[in-house]
Amino acid sequence: MIQFENVSHGPLQDLSFTIEKKDRVILFGPSGSGKSTMLFLFNRLKDPEQGGIWYKGEPIEEVPIPLLRRKIGLLLQSPNLFPGTVLDNLKYGPSLTNSWKPGDEKKLLEYVQLPPDIKDRDVDHLSGGQQQRVSLARTLANEPEVLLLDEPTSALDNKTAEDIELVLKELIEAHDLTMVMVTHQMEQARRLGTKGIFMYEGRVVETGELPEMLDHPRTDQLKEYLQE
Amino acid sequence: MSPEISNQSLLFLIIFVVVPLSLSYFYQLGMSRNIIVASLRGTIQLFAIGYLLTYLFDLNAYAGIPLMITVMIVIASFHARKKGKELPYVLPTIFIGLTLVEVSVLSLWLLFDMVEFKPSEVIPMSGMVIGNSMVAMGLALERMKSEFTENSGRLLAALSLGAEPKQASHLIVQRTLNAALIPNVDRIKTIGLVQLPGMMTGLILGGVTPVMAIKYQLVISLSIFSSVSLSAMFVTLVMYKHFFTKNQQLLDSEEALEAYSSQG
Repeated sequence: MIQFENVSHGPLQDLSFTIEKKDRVILFGPSGSGKSTMLFLFNRLKDPEQGGIWYKGEPIEEVPIPLLRRKIGLLLQSPNLFPGTVLDNLKYGPSLTNSWKPGDEKKLLEYVQLPPDIKDRDVDHLSGGQQQRVSLARTLANEPEVLLLDEPTSALDNKTAEDIELVLKELIEAHDLTMVMVTHQMEQARRLGTKGIFMYEGRVVETGELPEMLDHPRTDQLKEYLQE
Repeated sequence: MSPEISNQSLLFLIIFVVVPLSLSYFYQLGMSRNIIVASLRGTIQLFAIGYLLTYLFDLNAYAGIPLMITVMIVIASFHARKKGKELPYVLPTIFIGLTLVEVSVLSLWLLFDMVEFKPSEVIPMSGMVIGNSMVAMGLALERMKSEFTENSGRLLAALSLGAEPKQASHLIVQRTLNAALIPNVDRIKTIGLVQLPGMMTGLILGGVTPVMAIKYQLVISLSIFSSVSLSAMFVTLVMYKHFFTKNQQLLDSEEALEAYSSQG
């Protein structure tokens, strides 16, 4: 579904790997190893300085950028909601292509387990967990095939983080989404991931199935990272 | 009151400089040098422009007016550019913007017979329009830069949802224009109530009747209102594009990357 071939960008060096449809990939590694930057390469918020990326067999540069970004949705660490109501946020993406239909919000709010009457609330009056759910629903409104998640629960308290994680898990399974997630929490990686990519100093050091890769690390860097 | 101020009287203006100077001295603000330099510079500039205007007002209108307006626009462009000199093409953008605004306002004045095409009327009034537009453009540039930095997370979110740069920066353009226009709306609302505007005061001191002074003030105030709006809009709508690459990526996304994680 997505293929990186010898991709370099800034601190990222010579990345090569393939992500298949329905894979749930966890990108992990020490801070500063370039994981967030790498997510931006998937939806062209950044372009590689060297190497190539393919999406469904097509070079990524040949896919129209807005279309690519709708198909490869990104959920950031912070909700980054737009000023206005929940509904304003939910219809933002689909409205760009005139594909929003009144009533679509019901389904989206149900996906993220928020009550339907929240749609008219000002986003500034929501809790952190509710904001992140709205942000997720806003990304889902574009009906993406791939979901990029950049530490989506790291800014939340434990209970809220667990709830969001459950919502994510159910959604990904129900919609056969392909997922690429950056996380520092190895327990979360075990619960959500099927494949792992371990990054160290800008390079892919180890890849494998989850949770086997965490139980039997092959490289010293991964062993050391897991002990910390 | 007589419009004449003798040179001896003018000398006593020094008292007005001594006040801030003493404050700076007693409270150790370290501004004494700055206050003296600013006062001297201001005085010299004003006298220089006074003599220059006397010379220009005697010139043929078709030579003096374009010459002086060009000089004012060039100086204003270089000044406003300081607020956004890291942005590409900022100088020509401001220059073109100021020229467009000045030419449109001047044409309307002449078309509706509000101002006569003679240097003593066109030059001071154009100066006020260009000066205010320059400030508006500078403020708009500054505001736009800070909005882009503060909202980089939202911009990344909008781009990620498939928005093109124009759509993604709608919010920023809106806020920048809002910030540029609010002080002017407030100024027009309180005009004549809180303070008598400078031009009107000058005309009254010069012996013009208050109602006639008000008519002139209205012409200039509303002209400034409209030019400030146009200037802010022009510079914002032209410059926002430079915050994105041709591949619809937010420029300086290293900064954006750091900034987005700290946003709510």
